[in-house]
Amino acid sequence: MHALLGQNGAGKTTLMNVLVGLVRPDAGRLELWGADLDLARWSPAQAVRAGIRMVHQRSALVPALSVPENLAFGDPRGGPWFRARRAREAARALAQRYGLEVPLDRPVEALAPGERQRAEILRALDRGARALILDEPTAVLTPGEAEALFASLRRLRDAGRAVVFISHKLAEVEAIADRVSVLRAGRCVASRPAQGLSAAELGRLMLGDVALPEAAAARAPAAPPGSPRLELVGLSAPGGDEASRLRAIDLAVGEGEIVAVIGIDGNGQRELEEVLAGVRRPSAGGVRVRGEPVAVSPRALRRAGVAHLSGDRESAGLVPGMSLAENFALKGSYDDRRFFRRGRFDLAAARAAVAGAIARFAIVPDDPDLDCAALSGGNAQKLAVARELDGDPPVLVAANPTRGLDVASARFVHEQLRQRAAAGAAVLLISSDLDEAQALASRLVALVRGSLRAVPPGSDRSAIGALLVGAPA
Amino acid sequence: MTRALASALAGLACVAAAIALLGDAPGPALRALVAGSLVGTAAWTATLLKTAPLLLSGLGVALCFRCGVWNIGAEGQLLAGALAATALATRGPADAPAWLLAPAALAAGACGGALFGAAAGWLRAWRGVSEVISTILLNFVAIHCVALAVQGPLREAAGAYPQSDALPLAAQLPALGRVHAGVLLALAVAVAVHALLFRGAPGFRMRAVGLSPRAARFAGISPERTGALALALGGALAGLAGACEVAGVTRRLYEGLSPGYGYTAIAVALLGRLHPLALVPAALFFGALEAGAGAMQREAGVPAEAAKVVQAVVILISTALAAGPLALRRPRAAEGAR
Repeated sequence: MHALLGQNGAGKTTLMNVLVGLVRPDAGRLELWGADLDLARWSPAQAVRAGIRMVHQRSALVPALSVPENLAFGDPRGGPWFRARRAREAARALAQRYGLEVPLDRPVEALAPGERQRAEILRALDRGARALILDEPTAVLTPGEAEALFASLRRLRDAGRAVVFISHKLAEVEAIADRVSVLRAGRCVASRPAQGLSAAELGRLMLGDVALPEAAAARAPAAPPGSPRLELVGLSAPGGDEASRLRAIDLAVGEGEIVAVIGIDGNGQRELEEVLAGVRRPSAGGVRVRGEPVAVSPRALRRAGVAHLSGDRESAGLVPGMSLAENFALKGSYDDRRFFRRGRFDLAAARAAVAGAIARFAIVPDDPDLDCAALSGGNAQKLAVARELDGDPPVLVAANPTRGLDVASARFVHEQLRQRAAAGAAVLLISSDLDEAQALASRLVALVRGSLRAVPPGSDRSAIGALLVGAPA
Repeated sequence: MTRALASALAGLACVAAAIALLGDAPGPALRALVAGSLVGTAAWTATLLKTAPLLLSGLGVALCFRCGVWNIGAEGQLLAGALAATALATRGPADAPAWLLAPAALAAGACGGALFGAAAGWLRAWRGVSEVISTILLNFVAIHCVALAVQGPLREAAGAYPQSDALPLAAQLPALGRVHAGVLLALAVAVAVHALLFRGAPGFRMRAVGLSPRAARFAGISPERTGALALALGGALAGLAGACEVAGVTRRLYEGLSPGYGYTAIAVALLGRLHPLALVPAALFFGALEAGAGAMQREAGVPAEAAKVVQAVVILISTALAAGPLALRRPRAAEGAR
């Protein structure tokens, strides 16, 4: 049982794609039970034939079919006919053999996440998997379900299968893995027995031990924290899955302050961003701006002065197919009287406004009527920055604002964030890039499984890494 | 433009081939098709009378498609409009001022169509019912509502046929030469829809939702509400088409009032690539086809169904060439800028 760890972008996915045949390696060898695999003709079909199967985070089962039907589906051994009783019997026997109990008569979409995952593993085993790869298998599971999964995996190991699982969580690595490998920037930096590995050690391995960039806090020490501009009070919200549900978050960002929320993707960052953009309803708690409670809706938050900048183009609210001018006016379609008056859209005003932004931020191409889909990533983000900073909002929420940008564009965005804070705005940065957070923020907090944890000032990489993978504080 | 022309011409070529396959000479048949739709006053009258309802309901469809709402229900919305207009004109208050009657009938028609559109919009916004399903089903509801009305409450006083009384003269649309004022109205509505889409705040929101629902949501525009509004407005336009048809052409409500205008409207919208002004020539093309089909049957003995082949082929080719005007189009300048 082998656990594979690494930060986002460390190369875990690429490595797994190599194993399942989606990526053909440039060099090196791949051995399975002592036998060399033929990498010159390596392909997904070859990988399946060799007995390597992967269980993805996203279910690859047909939701409307039951588990036996899913097992039979696409299985060439079944011939052209589907024999319901035989398929059911085969599924039952397989499930019993590995202790992977699943309801056999309900469609997969009616199963609980844990059951669905067991079904997924069953399918891999049914096709003769000798090596099983699981991509963050516990992300969608409750603790009880995860425990049951571990028990099944142990049985698989004892039955002689190889199991690789990708994880971010220290506790489960300790609980289940025999060996641990850590990837960092495309290299395997450690591969050792899991026994006796400490959280600090693991954090150091994942994040490296290069010194962090000089902390923003250290550079410009303690301007007395201004009065709180943005406050999250006991904020809870449903999540895409169990790990990303927000749990009673309390956070205040003061005037002129940049606070960074760091964490590994899938721990609630997206949910937090969506709440602050107004598109996800909190289940409890709320948002205050300058002490006043604000309804969580895009328009109410915007009216209260909360601007939202995102690295994801769609969340950033740029509409491909609309022009630069139209995109500049987009967020004001109900209440911005510069562009929309008495139900009319003033294209000339939008053109004039975006022309100013184009000149100020050097956006190329500089045609206000251009379809914004034609902009490069950096220029699209400049357009989004120009729109969000327009009117000097007192609060700015920036979620991975430099994701996918080149160095110059990223520097530009960072500079804009600093200037906004210097001008007195409260800036909340949600970032999975620790270096970015450290360089910009005067204070770091970590989002782990939907809860906020304080990051003690002066923490080094290994301490932060240990915090992010869920070591007890 | 070139693509639209190409698909129209290809459609005509296919109908020639189809006629030849049926064993007739394509030459006389096509000549009858053209003569019956474009040559002479009578032919043009017939073409324009068919164009008006196609243009109005096509605009309704295009408005919805722009918003990413697949409204297949223009036929039902058109019938609902015809029904509402007839009900008001034949059963409304008798002492209403005469000058008000025709506008009121048109307004009633728009409301009737809007009601059917809004029903689908409401189901979609609050219950997640696919508008494709609901609008198709509402077509049948409307067809049977008309049948019920002309056999029951709206049946003519004479009681001879399942049809309504003739609309009072004051409720009928004024004539413009040989055509009714609805033709002019349809043109005006095309300009109005263009203005709404590209210079109006609601149209701006509809386009944003159609192009990227998620981005629109982050911008504070609710895709559900905007889609429901598009369906209601689109329904109103189709309802207006139905009202114009009873108040300008048939003078009465009866079953089978529409020869499928609401379905052809989808083809009109696609051939016009969802651009309100481009819908005018597109509607004219399909209007001429409708008008010419009758002539072809009379003069050359070719079944009118052959003209339906042209429609089908034009739809197939224009959709294939356009490959979804919303999906694959990558113009350099965004459309609103023009």
